[in-house]
Amino acid sequence: MTSPTPLRALIVDDEELARRLIREYLQGHADIEVVGECENGLDAVRQIAALSPDLVFLDIQMPRLTGLEVLELTGRRAGVIFTTAYDEHAIKAFELHAVDYLLKPFSKARFDDALARARTLHAPAAVTPALDALVARRTAPLERILIRDREQVHVIAIEHVECIEAQGDYLAIHADGKCRLKPQRISEIEEQLDAARFLRVHRSFIISLAHLQAIERPGPDRHAARLRSGKRVPISRSGYEKLRALV
Amino acid sequence: MHPILADARRLLWYVLAWLVAGVGIAALLRLTEQAEWAGALAFALPICLVWSFVALSSYYICRGLPYSQRRWPVAFGLFGGASLLAALAWLGLGEAWDSMGGLLARGKPFVAMTSPGWVMYFAAGFALHLLSLLAHDVLVAFESVQAAARREAESRVLARDAELQMLRTQINPHFLFNSLNSISALTGFDPAAAREMTVDLAQFFRRTLALAERERITLGEEVALCEHFLAIEKRRFGAKLATELRIAADAAACLLPPMTLQPLLENAIKHGIRQVDGGGTIAVDAAVRDGTLRIAVVNPVAPDDAPAGVHGVGLKNIRERLAVLYGPRARIAWQRGPAQFAIEIHLPVDKETGA
Repeated sequence: MTSPTPLRALIVDDEELARRLIREYLQGHADIEVVGECENGLDAVRQIAALSPDLVFLDIQMPRLTGLEVLELTGRRAGVIFTTAYDEHAIKAFELHAVDYLLKPFSKARFDDALARARTLHAPAAVTPALDALVARRTAPLERILIRDREQVHVIAIEHVECIEAQGDYLAIHADGKCRLKPQRISEIEEQLDAARFLRVHRSFIISLAHLQAIERPGPDRHAARLRSGKRVPISRSGYEKLRALV
Repeated sequence: MHPILADARRLLWYVLAWLVAGVGIAALLRLTEQAEWAGALAFALPICLVWSFVALSSYYICRGLPYSQRRWPVAFGLFGGASLLAALAWLGLGEAWDSMGGLLARGKPFVAMTSPGWVMYFAAGFALHLLSLLAHDVLVAFESVQAAARREAESRVLARDAELQMLRTQINPHFLFNSLNSISALTGFDPAAAREMTVDLAQFFRRTLALAERERITLGEEVALCEHFLAIEKRRFGAKLATELRIAADAAACLLPPMTLQPLLENAIKHGIRQVDGGGTIAVDAAVRDGTLRIAVVNPVAPDDAPAGVHGVGLKNIRERLAVLYGPRARIAWQRGPAQFAIEIHLPVDKETGA
């Protein structure tokens, strides 16, 4: 199953020798052309957007952004081969979602096998459901929220997030007096957040309990949360019950 | 606080025991025909009740004289003197209470005590107080044995933690598998370098195994181990990682627990060098000044990479380990600047005899 045009591959790993090994293993595959190398996650986000390669060899533990964060930010869900030396969390997630990965050090035979599998799955612009689930359902709660704004990537530490508001297809992340938009569903981020620190108080609102200052009652049977920044967030009836149970 | 006062049930039993002693004194007074039962009980019970609390003061005397620092003549003198003073106070209390009885409705004292009677009463006070002191002494000794056992158990747990920590360092899977991957890559284009890296890896693990069994090693030995570690990491990170080791000769001879410096370097690479785009230099300085071994590690960090907790865990482990081994004589402090991280360890100088 060789494609008529060569597959364009990007190698992402912060260790030069690891990248070099993949290049060497790829030499036997004439139908694959390496179009770039990245040594950190931010660079990977940029290059994936700029080059839109057919295949990405993606290391999980990297400076700046992890491999999974790169996928989250780029929206890429196909043509990815993960590599990792050791990461209990990531490996558990790969197994759970039946996503293929290469454990370093890996043999040429194992590499070719992964490549063959990626080729059969490869269909441009298609979304692999397993990868989608892997990125959406993290095993560990989110520690930071990443927002891509054209060339820039904003990293917001989770402690700084006051509240998250659903606005159409976007989430408005309120933190440090700023509001940034991220394309994601509120139910998806709700699952990723630590339930002990964040609460969905309304169909379109999640608040940080650490930023909650008071619960107000603007009218009979109506509640609102006042946050430390002074911002007010409406609370639904079921949200109020959940909040009462927690506070 | 006094262990008896801290627990209501214990206090109740304790007071009851004193009231039994009061009944005993009353019986003695009745038997020696100093008083009727009613008078004898009215005299002895309130006094014993009051005295039960006075006797608790023995606890503080006994605690002030721990076994380990006790000179026996002093202890005997103090116990005897305290009991004598207490017995005098007990006598005064007895006479006062007895004459109070006279002022109360009955019109006459509770007991018609003769002089031998008062002597006997005085002797009883002396004996009771001495008994209280001795009982408290046993109590305090028991407490300190328990506390020592608890401390020992705690330090055993910490020592085992340190051991586990060391084992984890020995087989840090991330380090091991990434190094093997680098060797695998090198075999393709630089077999000599692959061989060198294999040897460094083997030396690092061999030395770690050998050193981990020892309680103290010289800083020089630790540095030799770290050099193998750094040689491996330099292959992995290439030009990103540079090091400057300045180890003074007298510092290299100092003893310290194994794996004190290596985790600092590992941290400096993991949280520092790796996160900085162009990499940088890790500077290690070790020197002896005023009887203190001072080891400082400085490395660059990425400016926007701010998670404070990340560095914390490993460093807290080192801090706890040093605290167990050296107590307040060891110091470890770290500081994160906008572009660099600096950590400093101070240990008391401890040299191998003849080294």
